[in-house]
Amino acid sequence: MRAVTRNIRFALTLLLAVALSGCMEWDYLYTEEFDERGQGLFCLNEGNFQYGNATLSYYNPEAQKVENEVFARANGMKLGDVAQSMVIRNGVGWIVVNNSHVVFAIDINTFKERGRITGLTSPRYIHFLSDEKAYITQIWDNRIFIVNPKRYQITGYIDVPNMTMESGSTEQMVQLGDFVYVNCWSYQNRILKIDTRTDKVVDELEVGIQPTSLALDCNGKLWTVTDGGYDGSPYGHEAPSLYRIDPESFTVEKQFKFNFGDWPSEVQLNGAKDKIYWLNDDVWEMSVTADYLPAEPFLPYKDTIYYGLTIDPQSGDVYIADAIDYVQQGMIYRYSKERELLDSFYVGIIPGAFCWK
Amino acid sequence: MKFIIHNSLFTTIRIWISVLIIFNAAPLIAQTQSDNQEWHRRTHDIPEISVYGARPMKEIGTQQTKLDTTALKENIALSMADVLTFNTSIFVKSYGRATLSTVAFRGTSPSHTQVQWNGMRINNPMLGMTDFSMIPSYFIDDASLLHGTSSVNETGGGLGGAVKLSTKPAEAKGFGLQYIQGIGSFKTFDEFLRLTWGNDHWQTSTRAVFSSSPNDYKYRNHDKKENIYDEQMNIIDQYYPIERNRSGAYKDLHILQEVYYNTGKGDRLGLNAWYTNSNRELAMLTVDHGSDTDFDNRQREHTFRGVVSWDHLRQNWKIGAKAGYIYTWMAYDYKRDLGNGIMAHMTRSRSRINTFYGQVDGEYYIGKKWLFTANLSLHQHIVESRDKNIIRQDGNKAIVGYRKGRPELSGSLSAKWRPIDRLGVSIVVREEMFGKEWTPIIPALFIDGVLSERGNIVAKASVSRNYRFPTLNDLYFLPGGNPDLRKESGWTYDAGLSFAVGRKGLYSLKGSATWFDSYINDWIIWLPTPKGFFSPENIKDVHAYGVELQADLEVALSPKWQLGLNGNFSWTPSINCGEPRSPADRSVGKQLPYVPEFSSSVTGRLSWRRWTFLYKWCWYSERFTMSSNDLSLSGRLPEYFMSNISLEKVLVFNWADLSLKGTINNLFNEEYLSVLSRPMPGINFEVFIGITPKWGNR
Repeated sequence: MRAVTRNIRFALTLLLAVALSGCMEWDYLYTEEFDERGQGLFCLNEGNFQYGNATLSYYNPEAQKVENEVFARANGMKLGDVAQSMVIRNGVGWIVVNNSHVVFAIDINTFKERGRITGLTSPRYIHFLSDEKAYITQIWDNRIFIVNPKRYQITGYIDVPNMTMESGSTEQMVQLGDFVYVNCWSYQNRILKIDTRTDKVVDELEVGIQPTSLALDCNGKLWTVTDGGYDGSPYGHEAPSLYRIDPESFTVEKQFKFNFGDWPSEVQLNGAKDKIYWLNDDVWEMSVTADYLPAEPFLPYKDTIYYGLTIDPQSGDVYIADAIDYVQQGMIYRYSKERELLDSFYVGIIPGAFCWK
Repeated sequence: MKFIIHNSLFTTIRIWISVLIIFNAAPLIAQTQSDNQEWHRRTHDIPEISVYGARPMKEIGTQQTKLDTTALKENIALSMADVLTFNTSIFVKSYGRATLSTVAFRGTSPSHTQVQWNGMRINNPMLGMTDFSMIPSYFIDDASLLHGTSSVNETGGGLGGAVKLSTKPAEAKGFGLQYIQGIGSFKTFDEFLRLTWGNDHWQTSTRAVFSSSPNDYKYRNHDKKENIYDEQMNIIDQYYPIERNRSGAYKDLHILQEVYYNTGKGDRLGLNAWYTNSNRELAMLTVDHGSDTDFDNRQREHTFRGVVSWDHLRQNWKIGAKAGYIYTWMAYDYKRDLGNGIMAHMTRSRSRINTFYGQVDGEYYIGKKWLFTANLSLHQHIVESRDKNIIRQDGNKAIVGYRKGRPELSGSLSAKWRPIDRLGVSIVVREEMFGKEWTPIIPALFIDGVLSERGNIVAKASVSRNYRFPTLNDLYFLPGGNPDLRKESGWTYDAGLSFAVGRKGLYSLKGSATWFDSYINDWIIWLPTPKGFFSPENIKDVHAYGVELQADLEVALSPKWQLGLNGNFSWTPSINCGEPRSPADRSVGKQLPYVPEFSSSVTGRLSWRRWTFLYKWCWYSERFTMSSNDLSLSGRLPEYFMSNISLEKVLVFNWADLSLKGTINNLFNEEYLSVLSRPMPGINFEVFIGITPKWGNR
């Protein structure tokens, strides 16, 4: 019995030692200094919804060098949950982080935070009208927020007609003169026309089901592509289309129909804005004056689902994002205009949006 | 407003409890103290180690972990998620305190663990998983884990295993009452009431648990910084804020009614009815820069589960039948303050689940060497999911959702043979039908044998095929449901040794070591699509293997001192061995995200007279958050240690037994995350006062 007791004492001591030696750390992030000048590409990695692991990558095309997680490394804090989009204005990058309800302003060379806009519902895109006025579109809100970026303050709202909070969805914005055009995506089929002088929706144009993107070409024409909805949707399911819209008359000038079941997305323009690109399994390229969809893709599908697309405005190189399985670092492929693979590099989880510096 | 609701609900519950006491106190005449109400007895006799021949025929070759009453009834604030965390080697993935808690059994996903309550499967048919934070441990009298192949004895679909939860008669003699009040950190209130009454034939029990808390614990947020601006809106300083857990309040009410009748002539009837009313906010992420006053993010649930059972027992055969019903109403509301105090819905989701359940089973012994069993169960689900209100193109309103029904039939036959006392063999064949689709025959083979009578060393081995059908959301959820999904399938192999030694009244030492190896094909995972929503696909083949160790020690150090130690350790590599999804895919050959490779738990209990000190410790190794196991800044969660202690004293009076208990959770005040962006509470405290009156027994 004594031996048993002795063994138990030993076991207890060992157990206590193990327990007390235990420690775990929720690490603080360290900070680094960056000074990345010259042309560069920001890549926004959405991260996994509700896991707060969105990141920002920066790629130097000339040096073919990528730096990942630059926001966290420069600022000692995380970017947030679902990085949605980014624009640059006057040396400041504005990053919309959807489910963190925030828009960060960063220095585009040091990546250090300059300020942030909060109080948003579910922000998607930001568009600047001036240094002191910008619009921020939302999903699950029937208002477009008007903000003062200089003071990082919300200054007003644009009410969108025929839209409830639940069905609210405003997305990308382009500006032509005094008017800003906005595509409405989730369970929507409209392009809105907003008078920036009055901050009112003054007109709207019905297109197909769920227009996902909006771009303005060299001829002043708007381009949007619909995804056509999905099977079983009470909103409808149809073959998607690419639309060329004349903003003056605010009418559809040309409709390019895809096959039923296709999933086109990510309408992008080259630097000269005379070529349009999109994803539909493969990568497609078309002149903005074309009358028919191309028969052959620019780059064929390669055993993966492409998730993001951008064109280098200077060189015309095509960058394609592969999210792989959506829970690991995605891969960016860089192709020349001549379809030659120039580089590939890993970024963060679900690379979905780009921004050129 | 929240305060008013809380108080009114509290008052309603107190009135309800008073009514129950009055109602149940009626048969007080000549009542005696229930003999099962010795919950205060924390010391118990150390039993004789059973001899090898007494191993139940039904458990030939099975690997199971049984949770004893002391673990289940440790304190009223615990859910089954807490009990599993500290008493088993299962990995419990908790999204926070009183928040969704799912399990990864042997490195599998939550939907690979089948959960039964009194024989009825309670996995959510839409999601496939079970939220163990919604099961109060005080409502469970018997709990056991059936590891891997062993689950095939009870049900199909348990690619990781099965958790069997059940209630049992209180064995009361007369009227009994137990009331416990817990008050803890973060304004946490836990209340438990149990009323029992019984005689030789009838047993009734009513249990109620009510838990509430604003749950607004403080933590230093390492994931974000607050800015300090000058007048020109330049940042002049930044700091990591100390925040409260925002939007994490909960109010959970559970009521369990049981009635049992035993004819004394071999027939037993039972009725179990369990009602849950839960109202939980969904806590904001650490990286959320919104204000909790701007949003209301809340999940509510009303669930009723009822089972009636009949067992007819004879000397060498038994038949039984069960019928049950589950009704679940779930609401998810995500609201936004429009700036005028009006909270407008961003998301308004509702779902209703009706499940009808029936089961018949039989057992037939031929001598002492053969046992044949048969079992047939049916779960008929009718699900209505209403996830989003939209305005259609024609201007009319519509709802995005689905309404589907699915019968789930599962039947098994088994033959168990013990040719000699030292050897047992069991063969099980099972077949399942979900909707109109049948599985192939699911075979399972179990063997055990006594290697040495000295030390009761028993070797066990088993092998089984298994299948899991897609859930209703996998198939039909809008948008994204994929009706073309294949069922997951797998092979599992188990082998292990167990031993037991001891001397009655002095000590007992039991232990086991198990090796397992399983292959799961066509693993279903939800992935984002370019259309902006998620959709499930059969994408992975997973090889999960490893070792599970268990040990249990009980020692009477002296007539007044007693020590209990229970330990578990698991090594569970869970490796993606499918084809690369693209040339850039680096996940093949890597550990699945959020599945720890190692986990362990230890519980130590030291009793002296009517004092009991309890130490609980658990450890999960580093978990990767990416399938490629990248060690980026957010690619891993550091290993996780947790220590909880409690001290209890029982006071015995003529009129009642009183129990006083204090607990300290997160003893070393660790700042930690269980899941990315989900902060866990630091050190926190709760005290419990319990009373068991001695009716008519002074």
